[in-house]
Amino acid sequence: MKTLFLGGLAARVAPRIQARMTEKIEPSVLAELTDMQRLIPALAEAEIVVGHIWNKDFPEAPRLKLLQAATAGVDMIDLPSLPRGIALCNVYGHEPAIAEYVLMTMLALNFRLLDTVTDFRAGSWAAHQPAGGSPHGEIFGKTLGIVGYGRIGRDVAKRAASFGCKVIAANRSPVADQGDAVEIYLLAELDRMLPQCDALLVAAGLAPETQGLIDARRLALMKPTALLINIGRAAIVDEEALYTALKGNKLGGAALDVWWRHWSPAHPDERPSRYPFHELTNVLMTPHCSGFTDGTADRRWGDLAANLDRFVRGEPLNNIVMRT
Amino acid sequence: MKALFLGGVAADTYAGIEAELPAGLDSVVVGEPIDRAKLPQAAIDTDILVSNHWRADYPPAPKFRLVQSVATGVELFDLAALPKGCVVCNSFGHETAIAEYVVMAMLALHHRFFQISGEFREHGSWATSWVQSGTPHGEVRGTTLGIVGYGRVGREVARRAAPFGCRILAANRSPRERDQEVERIYPLAELDQMLPQCDTVAICTALGPETTGLITARRLALMKPTAFLINIARGQVIDEDALFAALRDNRVGGAAIDVWWQYPNQDDPARRGSRYPFHELPNTIVTPHNSGWTAGMVRRRWDEIADNIGRYCRGDSLINLVTTV
Repeated sequence: MKTLFLGGLAARVAPRIQARMTEKIEPSVLAELTDMQRLIPALAEAEIVVGHIWNKDFPEAPRLKLLQAATAGVDMIDLPSLPRGIALCNVYGHEPAIAEYVLMTMLALNFRLLDTVTDFRAGSWAAHQPAGGSPHGEIFGKTLGIVGYGRIGRDVAKRAASFGCKVIAANRSPVADQGDAVEIYLLAELDRMLPQCDALLVAAGLAPETQGLIDARRLALMKPTALLINIGRAAIVDEEALYTALKGNKLGGAALDVWWRHWSPAHPDERPSRYPFHELTNVLMTPHCSGFTDGTADRRWGDLAANLDRFVRGEPLNNIVMRT
Repeated sequence: MKALFLGGVAADTYAGIEAELPAGLDSVVVGEPIDRAKLPQAAIDTDILVSNHWRADYPPAPKFRLVQSVATGVELFDLAALPKGCVVCNSFGHETAIAEYVVMAMLALHHRFFQISGEFREHGSWATSWVQSGTPHGEVRGTTLGIVGYGRVGREVARRAAPFGCRILAANRSPRERDQEVERIYPLAELDQMLPQCDTVAICTALGPETTGLITARRLALMKPTAFLINIARGQVIDEDALFAALRDNRVGGAAIDVWWQYPNQDDPARRGSRYPFHELPNTIVTPHNSGWTAGMVRRRWDEIADNIGRYCRGDSLINLVTTV
């Protein structure tokens, strides 16, 4: 089975995926998507493509049957230009790591961890009780709202419930497994959920219904002490509105792992936003790595290899996003 | 019936519970800084002391019957200076906040949060990102957490850590019934068997003769070189020299330290928490003994103290009894 590992990410992880496969494939690797001289013949014969990008201007792929994304998000795959009759699958395995990140940042924002550690490293006992420091917050008894209640949301809810948080959620489609969430709203009812939240987790995928969903009007519906944690996609949240709200203390704080501008080889030092979020002390910021753990890699490349094996053996596939 | 609220924390407590105190109780508040000249008269006929300390050189207090600590630790009360038969009670309410701190610290250490967020904030560095395919960080799922001192705080930590998929071990001075979160509870004497298994060790024990200097250089060396140590108990449970050397030389993976070997005082209000510069170590999260210092803790603790004073005045049985002098 001719299998093309396409793009930088797939090219890097190809050896680890093949090492976990039991079935035989005929692999080829193409890291550079704009190398048309190599891309045209490679796609002409590929039956399986592993990658997370499919551009509008890609050449014909007449023999393709499976596009196996190497990521959970398929927002960099141009769905209308996919060949007919293929299955598009994605991979997960990042849920436990991201759930850990969400609880870590929610705790850290309530504790004012960065400020406290920075001040204490500089010698200040100001946060110490006998020094007259003001107490910090707890997450016990707080309401966590989750926008996009899928696998990550359920893993977060399970952990947050053990801290005594009330978990509520909003989702595009009806939710079959409510997990530890006590109320589920339709996405159309989001405005009723937002005012209740002490923390709002954005865990949705990027889609027409979620693009720009958290805008200035919706941010204003939230409590002025509320926290926003985004591990979904940056474009779900209005960049300018969020910066303005955080700078003006209209929100309590934020933890941002996904960004409006991404790293590229041409601009390796580019800041992740048009706005100086890095100057705000109520913002925790990480470079899209919340799910990037050893454990995620083990789970993800193992699952991906198993799905390729299933395809080669003609067995039903896991994690089908759509069939074209 | 007369009560003396002594010291700054006790004065705050009085302000918080004044409305809840029994009607007939005569309360005297001597706040911070303590005016020694007021003490003889305040102490001589007081039944209830509410404070975090009592010193040997304080004036006689022959009528103390209830000593209600505003803290959990009672090591600053000189028991020999208290009258025979008086009962010492402590107060809690901090378990929730401290358990949150322990899990936060465990997550932050495994996820290398300070390093990653610091480099991204200061330099815009994507080096640790998927995008760059940098080095992945750790997660707590599947790791082993060892809790030294399995009391109220320890149990609250275990309850929160279990849904993360941690394997949980514990060690305790006295035998404890094992609850479902914990795989095994070792006697403190068998601590050496537990330490080598742990990816995180959380010190949640009280300070006592059995726990002073418990974590020695020898025991630190029993831990995995990648293991993280979290101390929310008392500084003296850990050998200061040994921990600093182990962290500096990367013989343990890192630490989160909330409790210290020394504290600021009137002569040296800017005093550091240690003779060693722990605050310069990149693998160490340092906080100023505030893990339990939340508004929720204060309210829960005040309620317990007011409840116990009410119980004493009514002649009901007391809660949180530590010892009878």
